[in-house]
Amino acid sequence: MSANLPSRRRRRDDKRSPRSFSFLPWLDVLAISSWGVLFLKYWMTGKLYLLIHPNYMGLTIVAGVGLLVIAAIKVLVLLNARRRSVPLDPGSQHLTLFPPGWGNMLLLVTAVLGLVVEPRAFASQAAIHRGITDSLVSTRIQHQSFTASTRPEDRTLIDWIRTLNVYPEPDAYTDQKVKVQGFVVHAPELPKNYILISRFIITCCAADVYPVGLPVKLAQSRDAYKPDSWLEIQGHMQTENLAGRRQLTIQSTSLQPIPEPKNPYDY
Amino acid sequence: MNQFNNAFTLFLSLLVEAVPFLLLGVLFSGLLLFFVDERKLIAVMPKNALLGALLGSLIGFLFPVCECGNVPVARRLLMQGAPAPVAIGFLLAAPTVNPIVLWSTWVAFRDQPEIVFLRFGLSLAIATIIGWVFSAQADLRSILQPGVACVIPTAKPVSRQGAEQPISPLLQSGTFLLGQSGRPLRMDASELQADLLEDTIASKPLPDRLNLLLENTIQELRELGGVLVLGSAIAAVLQVFVPRDWILSLGQGPVTSVLAMMTLAAVVSICSTVDSFFALSFAATFTSGSLLAFLVFGPMIDLKGIGLLLSIFKGRAIVYLFLLAAQLTFLSTLFINLHVS
Repeated sequence: MSANLPSRRRRRDDKRSPRSFSFLPWLDVLAISSWGVLFLKYWMTGKLYLLIHPNYMGLTIVAGVGLLVIAAIKVLVLLNARRRSVPLDPGSQHLTLFPPGWGNMLLLVTAVLGLVVEPRAFASQAAIHRGITDSLVSTRIQHQSFTASTRPEDRTLIDWIRTLNVYPEPDAYTDQKVKVQGFVVHAPELPKNYILISRFIITCCAADVYPVGLPVKLAQSRDAYKPDSWLEIQGHMQTENLAGRRQLTIQSTSLQPIPEPKNPYDY
Repeated sequence: MNQFNNAFTLFLSLLVEAVPFLLLGVLFSGLLLFFVDERKLIAVMPKNALLGALLGSLIGFLFPVCECGNVPVARRLLMQGAPAPVAIGFLLAAPTVNPIVLWSTWVAFRDQPEIVFLRFGLSLAIATIIGWVFSAQADLRSILQPGVACVIPTAKPVSRQGAEQPISPLLQSGTFLLGQSGRPLRMDASELQADLLEDTIASKPLPDRLNLLLENTIQELRELGGVLVLGSAIAAVLQVFVPRDWILSLGQGPVTSVLAMMTLAAVVSICSTVDSFFALSFAATFTSGSLLAFLVFGPMIDLKGIGLLLSIFKGRAIVYLFLLAAQLTFLSTLFINLHVS
C-alpha cells in the first residue's frame, strides 16, 4: 500500500528500516506491558474505585491482562529469529502520526507517571469548582432506581438528593430524621456556621463525577470540621433561607468523624 | 498542587476507561482486515446511489474500524471498484456506526441514552447524504490522488478472481489509462507491485497473517494510544484549569457550544472508539447538541484525519467533505439544541 502513496507522505519508519534491528520493537513491548502492569496495579490496590465506575472494572482488568499477553507474544516473536523476516509491514496501512518512538515514549512515560503518582479522590476544592447543587445536574436524566418507600433516616445523601429532585419543596421534609455520610465542604456562599455535606456521583469515570450536597447547620463555627474530612451526620430536616433561596437544610444533632471510605464515590 | 492532582486523576481515569475499548477496536479491525475479503462485499453493493451510500455507511458493522483504520479500508474499497457513494458513506460513517463505538458511547452516556441513538442516527444520515451528493461526480478520478485514481478501474482483481465486477473494456490491458479528464494516467510498476502485495494478504498462510495481526495491533496501539494520551491530557487540563464560569458561558449557548465542540473535535483528533469518554467530561457543562456535534463531527473530520484523507483525495474534495459534514452537523445539532432538548 505505501508504495503508491506519494513519497512525501510515506511512512517515516518505512518497511524493514531501522525497526528490525533497533530498540524500537522493545520499546513497543515496554510501553504496552507498562500499561498492563498499571491496570493490574490499580486493580490490586483498589485504586480503580477512585477512577471508574465498578461496572467497568472488569473491562480494565481484562484489558490489563490482554496488554500483557500482547507484550509477551511480541517478546516471543522478537526472540524467535525465524519470525523476524516479516514479509509485509502491516503498518503501511496507516500513516504514522508520530515520529518513530514518540508514540511509545508518550505511552511509557504516562504509565510510569501513573505508577509513581497516586491518583486521589476528588475533594472539596474540586466540588466547589464543579459547583455543588442539591439537584442532579440539569443535563442529566434522573436515575430510575429511586424508591420512595425508604424511611427518611435510611436514606443516603444521594437518596435525599434524588428524593428532592422528584419533589423539590423543602417544607415537605420538615422534621424528618436524617442520617447521612459525606465529606465536608466549606462553601464560600454559606454563613460561618454552615457546612455542606457532600458526595461525588460517578456514572462512568472520574471525568463525569459531579458533586451533590446538602447544607448542614452547626451549633458552632464550621472551623471545627475541616474541609474534606468525612462525617456521619444525624439530625432532622428543616427549611432555611440560604444564599438567597429556600433550601432543605440538616439541623445537626450529632456529627461523628468517620474514615474516608475505600470507595468515596456514590452511584 | 491540588488542582494538578485533580487533573492527573481525571487524566488517568479517562485512560483507564478508554484503553480497553481502544484495545478491543484495534484487535477487531485487525482481525477483519486480515481475515475478511472486502471484494466480496463490493460485489453485492447496490448500484443505486442513495442505497449504496446507506449500505456503505453500514459496512462499519462488519469492519469496526475507528477513524484511522477507515481511511485505508475506504481506499481499498475505491481501488477495488466500489462506487463512490459506497466508499464515501463508509469513510464517514464507519468510525461511528459500528458495534464497538456504540458500546463505548453507551458506557459513557448510560444516563442519556438519547445521545447514543442520536449519535448513531445523525452519523448515518450525514454520511449517507454526503455519499449521495458525491454520486453526482461522474468521474471520481478528478478529485482523487493520482495514485488512487489510476488504479480505480483496475481489472486486476476481476481477472484474477474471475468475478463479479463490471469491467471497463478499455482497461483490461495496457499500461496507460486515458482518463475522461483527457490526461493519460500511467500505471507504474510500484503501484502494480503494491497491489500484488495487497492481494497476497488474504492468501497468506495463517502464521504469517497472525504475525501481521500482531504487528498491526502493536502499531495501532502505539499510534492511537499516543493520540489518546494527548487527547485525555487536553480534556483534563481544560476541565480543571479553565475557569468554570468561562466554560459555562460558552457551553450553555446553543450556538456557541456547538461551534466550540466542533472546533474541539477537529483539533483533538481523539479516536472514535474512545471519544465519548472525552465528551463525557463536558457533559455537565455543555448542551446535549454540542456533545452530539463533537461525537458526530469528530470521527468524520479532524486534523489527524485530514492527513490520512490526503492519501485518497485531492485537497478540493477534502474541502467539500469538510464543508458538507460541518454544515450538516452544525444544523442538525443546532436543531436538537433549540427544539429537542
